[in-house]
Amino acid sequence: MDNNKFVEVKNLRKVYDNGHEAIKNVSFSVKKGDLVCLLGPSGCGKTTILNMLAGLLNPTEGDILFNGKSVIKVAPKDRHIGYVFQNYALYPHMTVLQNVMFPLIVGANKKSKAEAKEIATKYMELTQITELADQKPGNLSGGQQQRVAIARALVQEPQILLMDEPLSNLDARLRLKIREEIRSLVKTVGITTLFVTHDQEEALSIGDKIILFNDGIIQQDDLGQNFYLEPNNYFVANFVGNPVIDNFKVTKTANEIKSSQFTINLADMEQSRFKRELPDGEYVLSVRPENIVPDPDGLFETKVDDIELIGRERILKFTFDNQQVRSLINLEAPIKHGDVVKLKMRLNRVFLFTPEGERVY
Amino acid sequence: MKRIRLGVLFSYIILFIFAVITVFPFIYMILGGLMSFQETTSIPPTLIPHHFEWSNYATVFARAPFGRYFFNTVLTASVTTIVSLFNSLLGAFAMVNLRFKGKGLIQLVLLSLLMVPGEAIIFTNYNTIAHMGLLNTYVGLVLPFLTSIFYMYYLQSYFGSISDTIYKAAMIDGASDWDYIWKILVPMSKGGLFTVGLLSFISGWNSFLWPLLVTNEDTMRLLNNGLSAFASDAGSETQLQLAAATLTVLPILILYLIFRKQIIKGVVRNDLKG
Amino acid sequence: MKTNQKKAWLFLAPTIIFVTLFSIYPILRAFGMSFQGGSLIDLHWNGFSNYQYIFNDPEFWLAIKNTVLYAVISVPVGLAISIMLAWIIFDKVKHKSFFETTFFMPYVTSTIAIGIVFRYIFNGDYGMLNFLLRSLHLPAPDWIDDPAMSLTTIIIFGIWSSLAFNIVILMGALRNIDPNFYTIADMYGASGRDKFWRITMPELVPTIAFLLTMNVIGAFKIYTSVYALFNGQAGVGNSGTTAVFYIYNKFQIVGTPGVAMAATVILFLIILFATFLQRKMMKKVGEN
Repeated sequence: MDNNKFVEVKNLRKVYDNGHEAIKNVSFSVKKGDLVCLLGPSGCGKTTILNMLAGLLNPTEGDILFNGKSVIKVAPKDRHIGYVFQNYALYPHMTVLQNVMFPLIVGANKKSKAEAKEIATKYMELTQITELADQKPGNLSGGQQQRVAIARALVQEPQILLMDEPLSNLDARLRLKIREEIRSLVKTVGITTLFVTHDQEEALSIGDKIILFNDGIIQQDDLGQNFYLEPNNYFVANFVGNPVIDNFKVTKTANEIKSSQFTINLADMEQSRFKRELPDGEYVLSVRPENIVPDPDGLFETKVDDIELIGRERILKFTFDNQQVRSLINLEAPIKHGDVVKLKMRLNRVFLFTPEGERVY
Repeated sequence: MKRIRLGVLFSYIILFIFAVITVFPFIYMILGGLMSFQETTSIPPTLIPHHFEWSNYATVFARAPFGRYFFNTVLTASVTTIVSLFNSLLGAFAMVNLRFKGKGLIQLVLLSLLMVPGEAIIFTNYNTIAHMGLLNTYVGLVLPFLTSIFYMYYLQSYFGSISDTIYKAAMIDGASDWDYIWKILVPMSKGGLFTVGLLSFISGWNSFLWPLLVTNEDTMRLLNNGLSAFASDAGSETQLQLAAATLTVLPILILYLIFRKQIIKGVVRNDLKG
Repeated sequence: MKTNQKKAWLFLAPTIIFVTLFSIYPILRAFGMSFQGGSLIDLHWNGFSNYQYIFNDPEFWLAIKNTVLYAVISVPVGLAISIMLAWIIFDKVKHKSFFETTFFMPYVTSTIAIGIVFRYIFNGDYGMLNFLLRSLHLPAPDWIDDPAMSLTTIIIFGIWSSLAFNIVILMGALRNIDPNFYTIADMYGASGRDKFWRITMPELVPTIAFLLTMNVIGAFKIYTSVYALFNGQAGVGNSGTTAVFYIYNKFQIVGTPGVAMAATVILFLIILFATFLQRKMMKKVGEN
C-alpha cells in the first residue's frame, strides 16, 4: 500500500451522451490525509471528476484506485466515501438528527437506532450542531446546513471526503470562517479530502496541494505557491493571481525582446530561467502587477489612467497596446491620477510564453 | 371616478349571477330531495319545502340497493387509486432518477398515449374484459385503470422538481432504490401524492361509461350507474331522483370542501384533467 | 452508476404491462376491428364496408353534426365566460379563493347527478327555468321534450359544466403574471382596459390555447351529460345524438362492433385534426 497514492486516477476520460468530451486525459494522485483542491473555471470538468470518484458517473475510459484497488465497478455506497454537495442535499422532511443518522440506518450494514444515534451525536458535536438536532433543514442558515451536510458525510467514517463547491452558497464573511473550520475539521479527523472550487483564493488557503483544470485536462498539479511563482503555462499564469497578471505582446530578435514601447536586452534576463533555446518570433511577456513598479530608471514611460484603492495597496492602471495594464504600489507612494511615471520590471520574475501558451522563461 | 365604480358594480353583478347559476343546482338538488311529490311539480315551483320529507331517503334505500352501490364505488375507487398511485410512483421514479436505454422511447410512447381519448379504447377494452370472463366482477371494473399515464406524468414533474443531488446523496449514504422511494421520495412528495390520490378517487367515484359497459347486474353497479337506472325507474318521482342524486354528490362534495386547497392546487399545477 | 440501469424496467413493468394491454392493444384492435364485420364473437374481414356504411348513414352525420356544433358553440362561449369571470375574480374581488372554490364545484361532482337536477330545472311544465322565463314574459320552450331544443339544452349544460376547470386554470395563469407588469403600466398611466388587452390577454395566450385544446377534445367526447339530461336517451327521437352515443349504440345495442370502431377511428381523426388546427392557429396568434 502506497500512502502517497491513496487516491489514484489514471488516464481518466469522460464523454457525455451528447458527445461532449468533459474530461480528456486526466491522471493524478492524492496522499493519504491530504486536503487537495480541484480548481478551475466553471465547466472545466472538476465536478465531473468528483462525480466519477464518487461513482455517480461512469468514466468512458481510465481507472480510479482507492487504496491501491480499482473502484470502477464498485457502487457509490461501497466506496467508503462521504460527499458534500454544493446545495447540501439535506433531506427536507427529516430533522437534523435524522439526516445525520440516515446513512447509518439504511443499506446492508445498518446499525441499531441507539448505536446510530450515538455515532451521529459524536459527529454533530464535532461540527457543533448538537443543539440543532430537532430542527428541520428549512429552518437553518446556510452555514448551519453546511455543517449538517458535513456531519452526514462524515458519519459513516469514510476514508475519503469529497466536497463539491461547499462554500459557494455562503456569504463572503461566513465563507472565510467555514473554510478554516473545514480545514481544521478534516485535519482533526485525518480524512483524505478532495475539495472542488472555482475560487483560487479558497483553494490557495485551504489546500495542501491544488490541481488546476481547464478544458478537461490538468493544467498544473502543484503546491499552492507554485501556481503563483512558477505557473506551468499561460492559462495558469492568468487564472491565478489577483489583480490578474499583465501581458505584453513582444517580438524576440537575436539579442533583444521588443514591444511597442520597450526593449529588453536578452543579456539582462536570468539565463538559467530559460527552459529551452528560443527561436526568433512572437511571444507573450507576462509579469505580475507587483513586479512592475514605478522607478526613475524604468523601462518605459506611461500616463496613469486611474488609481484603485484595494485595502493596503493601490493599483495603478495604464494603457498599453490598447489594453489595460496594472501595477501594484503601496499606499504611501506619491503618485496621482494623470501623472506620467516610468515603470520597471523585475526581470527575474517575468514569464515568457509562446503564442500557444507554453512557458519558455 | 364614478364610471370606474359603475364598472366594478357591473362586474359584481355578473359575478353574483354566475355564482348563483353555479351553486343553485346543488342547493336545489338538496332541497328538492326533501320535497313532497306535490311540491316538486307545483306551479309556481317550490323553492323551500314546507316540511322536510326525510322519508324520501328511506324510500330510495328501499327501492334500490344504494348501500351496495356505495360499497362498490368506495371499493373500486379506492383500489384503483391505491394501485394506480403505487404503479405511477414506481414508474415515475424510474423515469426521473434512473438512466437506461429506451427511456426516451418510453417517454414518447406514453406522451402520445396521453393524447388518445379514453372513449376511443373503452369499447375494445370491454371486449378484452369480456374475453377474460370478467364482466360483472370487481376485477373487471378496476383492471384497465390500475395504471394511469396521466398520474405518472404528473408525479414525474413533481419528482423532477426535487434536486437530483438528493438522490445522489441517498446513494452515497447507502440507501437502496427501495429505501429512497419510501424513506425520501414519498415523504418529500406527500402533498403531490395526496392530491393525485384525491383526484383519482374523485374520478373513480364519478366514473360512468366503463361500469355501464362491464356490469349489468344490479349488485355490481356503481353509484352513478345505480343512480341513472334509479332515475329511469323512478320516472316522474322527481323528489326521489333528487334525493338519490344528493346521496351520490354529497360525499364527494364534502371531501372537496375539506380538501379544496389541495385539489385546486393539484389541478392547476399540472393542468390535470381527472 | 451504470449508464444503463436495467432495473428501471422492473419499476416500469406494471405500467408497461397495463398500458400495453389496455391502451396500446385496444388502439390497434379498434383499428383492426373497423375493417371487420359481424358480431363480437364472429368477426370477419370486410374491407372498407364499415366506413362506407357510416358515411351513408344519416344518423352518423347527425351525430357528427351535433358533436361539431356542440364543440363550435359551447367551447368558445364557455371559454369567453370563463375568461370574464376569472378576470373579475382576479382583478376586483377580495375573497378570490372563496369564488374559486365555488366555481370549481361542478368539476368534482357527478355529471349524472347534476344532469338529473338540470332535467328538473329545465322541465317544460314545472321547471324553475321556464317559471323564471314566463315571469319575465320571455318564450318558454320545452327544453327536454322538444327535439328542436335538444342540442341547445345540451350546449347550455355543457357551458355550465366547462366553467369550473377553465376558471381555475385561468386563475392559476393570472396569478403567474408578473405583478410588476401592472405596476409599470400604472406608472405610464395605462387604463384598466389597456392593461387587460395589452398585458393580461397576451400573457394568457398559452393557457387559452391549452384550454381550447382540452375543451375541444372534451366536447368531441361528449356522452355522459347527454345521457344524464335525457335519462339514458340521446334526446327525443335521438335528436341529440353525439359521436360517442353513435359508437355506443352500434357497439352495444345494435351489435355491430366493426361499424362502431370505424366511427371511433373517424372521431379520433377529427380530434387529431382539430388539435392540430388549433396549434397552428394559436401559433399565429402568438406571433402577432
